[in-house]
Amino acid sequence: MPEPLSNITVQMPRAKLAGLLLFFLGPAVAIYSLFSIYPLVATMALSTYTSDPSGARSFVGLANFETLLGDALWSKPFWNALGNNLIFFAVHMCVQNPIGIALAGLLSLPGVRLKGFYRTVMFLPTMLSVVIVGFSWNLILSPLWGVAAGALKAVGLGSLFAPWLGLESSALVTLSLMSVWQFVGIPMMLIYAALLNIPEELIDAARVDGLGQFRIFFHIKLPLVLPTISLVSVLTFVANFNAFDLIYSVKGALAGPNFTTDILGTFFYRTFFGNQLQLGNPTMGAAVATVMFFIILLGLCLYLFLVQRRIRRYAF
Amino acid sequence: MANLRIEHLNKRYGATTVLNDVNLSIGDGEFVVLVGPSGCGKSTLLRMIAGLDGASGGDIHIADKLVNTLAPAERGIAMVFQSYALYPHMNVRKNMTFGLKFTGVPPTERERRVAKAARMLRLEELLERYPRDLSGGQRQRVAIGRAIVREPAVFLFDEPLSNLDAALRVSTRVEIANLHRLLKSTIVYVTHDQVEAMTLADRIVVMNKGCIEQVGKPLDLYYEPANLFVAGFIGSPAMNFFEAEVGGIEGGRARVAGTAFRNFDMPAASLKVGDALTVGVRPEHLVRGGAGPFLAEGIVELVERLGEASFAYLRRVDGRIFVAEVRGRQTPAPGETVTLVAASPDVHVFDALGLRVAT
Repeated sequence: MPEPLSNITVQMPRAKLAGLLLFFLGPAVAIYSLFSIYPLVATMALSTYTSDPSGARSFVGLANFETLLGDALWSKPFWNALGNNLIFFAVHMCVQNPIGIALAGLLSLPGVRLKGFYRTVMFLPTMLSVVIVGFSWNLILSPLWGVAAGALKAVGLGSLFAPWLGLESSALVTLSLMSVWQFVGIPMMLIYAALLNIPEELIDAARVDGLGQFRIFFHIKLPLVLPTISLVSVLTFVANFNAFDLIYSVKGALAGPNFTTDILGTFFYRTFFGNQLQLGNPTMGAAVATVMFFIILLGLCLYLFLVQRRIRRYAF
Repeated sequence: MANLRIEHLNKRYGATTVLNDVNLSIGDGEFVVLVGPSGCGKSTLLRMIAGLDGASGGDIHIADKLVNTLAPAERGIAMVFQSYALYPHMNVRKNMTFGLKFTGVPPTERERRVAKAARMLRLEELLERYPRDLSGGQRQRVAIGRAIVREPAVFLFDEPLSNLDAALRVSTRVEIANLHRLLKSTIVYVTHDQVEAMTLADRIVVMNKGCIEQVGKPLDLYYEPANLFVAGFIGSPAMNFFEAEVGGIEGGRARVAGTAFRNFDMPAASLKVGDALTVGVRPEHLVRGGAGPFLAEGIVELVERLGEASFAYLRRVDGRIFVAEVRGRQTPAPGETVTLVAASPDVHVFDALGLRVAT
């Protein structure tokens, strides 16, 4: 028998202990089951059914997944959405997080004035609704009445302007950068908080050792906030593979031009609810959602087993 | 090895003055301890010598070179911090060589210095370990090692023992003293602990409210405190003070008169009748049945027994408490009235400004 954790629980009557467990754990378990576990399981179950035109459902096993990955009609848009989603994620990792780290590093320098002001201003877009961000950028970048063309012309770079959101070659990256602009405050804040945690004396010691602020950042501060950076990466991964709203509000469910901005979220939306001529197909939608779940799960597992274990947290 | 000269140093944060016109000259190879209550400016002074904090005015010379505008690494100093400040992501060896890499010391030379410092500090076994695997005392030695490998002109210690437990503090104190004997380097050491100050220092600098109160050898500070602050700060338990005034002057002798002790005479010097005075006597200098000019009576309230001595807390005639050290097994009982006497060199008299008057 394992060692009892506390004498109090051992001496307690069984009924009282059960009541206590129910009181403290019950609410959380109930809410979590109802709103997280049940929908997940129900979705997975639904993905193993198919419905005929009359609406009657029948069990088909993994046939939906075969269709999704094997039937070109389904697999082509699926792989397209997954590829676009990876690009979407890559832009965030290569642009959003480095900028967030750099901003946090600048904010943590000694003697920066108006720190609070900058911090708030850079975090502000994160608090805006995605719909508002999408709509504003849509207007800014519009070749007809947007200010982007005029602004570029004013600084002599008018020739660089293009209808970025409308070109197949640039629409996805443009949307990614809009999302980067909105959410750069989150890595910044998390890493800034981690940087504040580094004791002042450690920085002083590095100064006595002859390091300038730049080297202090790269040799001392950055290695010490690596755990936070990896946490930020995971958050970015999960958020990016669940993204939907920005594409939908700027480009609509068709994720144009020609599906070049289609990501898993929008692909799922069209499948499940239908769009224009496409009929909604809840059982195929559930299959797409299940695949998305496993993609994110796989990513998290890779992270946990390959990265997390090698990263050490430092106590100061 | 180098001397250190501080001239008219000032530090202000807005309207608050942290250091006020500090002048200090430290000789080559001298071990100087800055001591004072918290907030007296001693750590700020050390950080300014290190170049971590800028001055509001005044000059700092290290090895006869003006270093006001130099970065910490260019001043020829090394600093040991209170929290050790070891780099947690580097092993002991890297912690020690890290700074050298950036000051252009070639790898073979780095290794030689690390080996030497490791031998001196008994760190050889620990070189590949990380700070998290070391005990407090070992971390402290690594921090000192990191300072040694820089081969600085001046070592700066900022309360290096305050994070150690009592036993380790004593042994590390001895180690630091040995190190100073071995390296013969100039050391500036900040502490709020007067035992550390007394045991380690060649000279002690007592600071209070941003000013230097007195600079002197440990025993000079103890036997001849320049003013009331130093008298009260050095020594434990603290010196007893009795209010007094000049009761009269006759034939070059002034009569020191007070309510809580028997009046006595001292050289008048520049004293005038009616001048306010403070008489100070250390608990350990008050003896039962001795001979001397100072005599006070008190009723024993409480006796603290420490073993080698006991401290008797006595109530004076005017209702206040003073302390006397009692040696031996025979300690007075609470309620007993005791008469205590102090010999002439141990009676300190301070004038109205708190400055010492020769007795």
